[in-house]
Amino acid sequence: MNQTIRILNHSAKIAAIAITIMVSGCVTATVQQVRQTETAMTAEDSVVVIGRRNRPSQGEAELDFIDCVSRNMSSGGNGVQVISENQFMDALFPWFEPRTAPLNTNDLPALLRQPILAQRIREIGLKYLVWLDGRTKRTSQGGSMSCTITPGGGGCFGFLTWENDSSYEASIWDAHTARTAGRVSSDAAGTSYVPALVIPIPLIARVQTSACVSLAEQLKTFIQSGA
Amino acid sequence: MQQQRRRNAEQSPSFLTTFALAGALLLMSACTTTTKELALDGTFPIPLISKSPVQMGIHLDQTLTSFTHVETIDKKGSWSVALGPAQQEMFGNLAIGIFENHAFVDNLSVEAPLDGVLKPTIREVQFALPSQTRSDYYEVWISYHFELYDRAGTPISEWKLPAYGKASKTNYASKTQGLQAAAMAACRDAMAFFSINFSREPAVRQWINNGKPLMPAPPDPSNESI
Repeated sequence: MNQTIRILNHSAKIAAIAITIMVSGCVTATVQQVRQTETAMTAEDSVVVIGRRNRPSQGEAELDFIDCVSRNMSSGGNGVQVISENQFMDALFPWFEPRTAPLNTNDLPALLRQPILAQRIREIGLKYLVWLDGRTKRTSQGGSMSCTITPGGGGCFGFLTWENDSSYEASIWDAHTARTAGRVSSDAAGTSYVPALVIPIPLIARVQTSACVSLAEQLKTFIQSGA
Repeated sequence: MQQQRRRNAEQSPSFLTTFALAGALLLMSACTTTTKELALDGTFPIPLISKSPVQMGIHLDQTLTSFTHVETIDKKGSWSVALGPAQQEMFGNLAIGIFENHAFVDNLSVEAPLDGVLKPTIREVQFALPSQTRSDYYEVWISYHFELYDRAGTPISEWKLPAYGKASKTNYASKTQGLQAAAMAACRDAMAFFSINFSREPAVRQWINNGKPLMPAPPDPSNESI
């Protein structure tokens, strides 16, 4: 009896793993970094991840992606203290609004020379500013599917496929030295499928999530690993 | 059997009436465009900036506090954007951040210790949907106009402030939410621009540097000889 239950549990585990593999499409992710200065964080230091919005860009990072990177950077054993984008924008209003935000680190020293601003940055313990640029877009799609509902039942028949491409770059600014510490980029691509033979089975490639997780991990390593 | 037929005959007209009414309602709903009403949702931050040495009266008249922009877009419907109700909080927080002291006032002439009165108005509002501009953004433009008076109600200066806000359609599930976010962004833009540039306005700077004096009254046109 016990052996039967054990075999059933084992089968359920194998089925769960197989379903997990089946329902997620394949994603290829690449992360690269360029270091310009040494980095280090103490327990009191914090980081903010903000989206670049000060130009009519087609590559404005999605709010949920920024939120995802912030959450992933603050979680885990090597998590760092992260201030939310909204909290940061309100605390330092009006200096990081789309019209007023510094375009590069050359504009930072003049900003930080203002005592009231420097004091607020010290109060919130800001050490690094991470500017995010990029987006996830659908690069190709194909296939067709038709669904029918009749009094006797219904079903779908067909095949859909699409490819998503995520490309993001994070520029890390040191708020203490007013210099660029480095850049981390994350690219991910993946194809999703939905075959339907009566019931549609979506096999979704989680491209944006993959880009977010790999970017956040690399950012954590970058700012904590020093030289 | 006859009774059954009679009952069916009696029921048929009411069934047909119901069917016709439902059809008419469907047609009406297809032809009628409803106005989507939206108001600003969110709070405004207090600017982190060196305060101007001014005790300012803020005059928000009813035209501003009840300002609503209504716009109809072909095949997209009508929108009613209520900007007015948020202006009190917006200018209240702005004043906390940039003036030494402030009070909301009903008139353009005030008593000391107030040094002068600021009167903002909204002159024009425009918005655009992503489908109109073939972009990813909801966009809102607000044209503010500011008038500054001394404490006797004599004009010191006036200037325009064009504010702009955008919100990406990828971040918002509906048009209403997207426009709401873009309108909030435009109000924040107005606050940011005003905060940084108020004391840089040449006439304002001169007035402050001269100790915020009473301005000479403008000539009365009725006393002017031809």
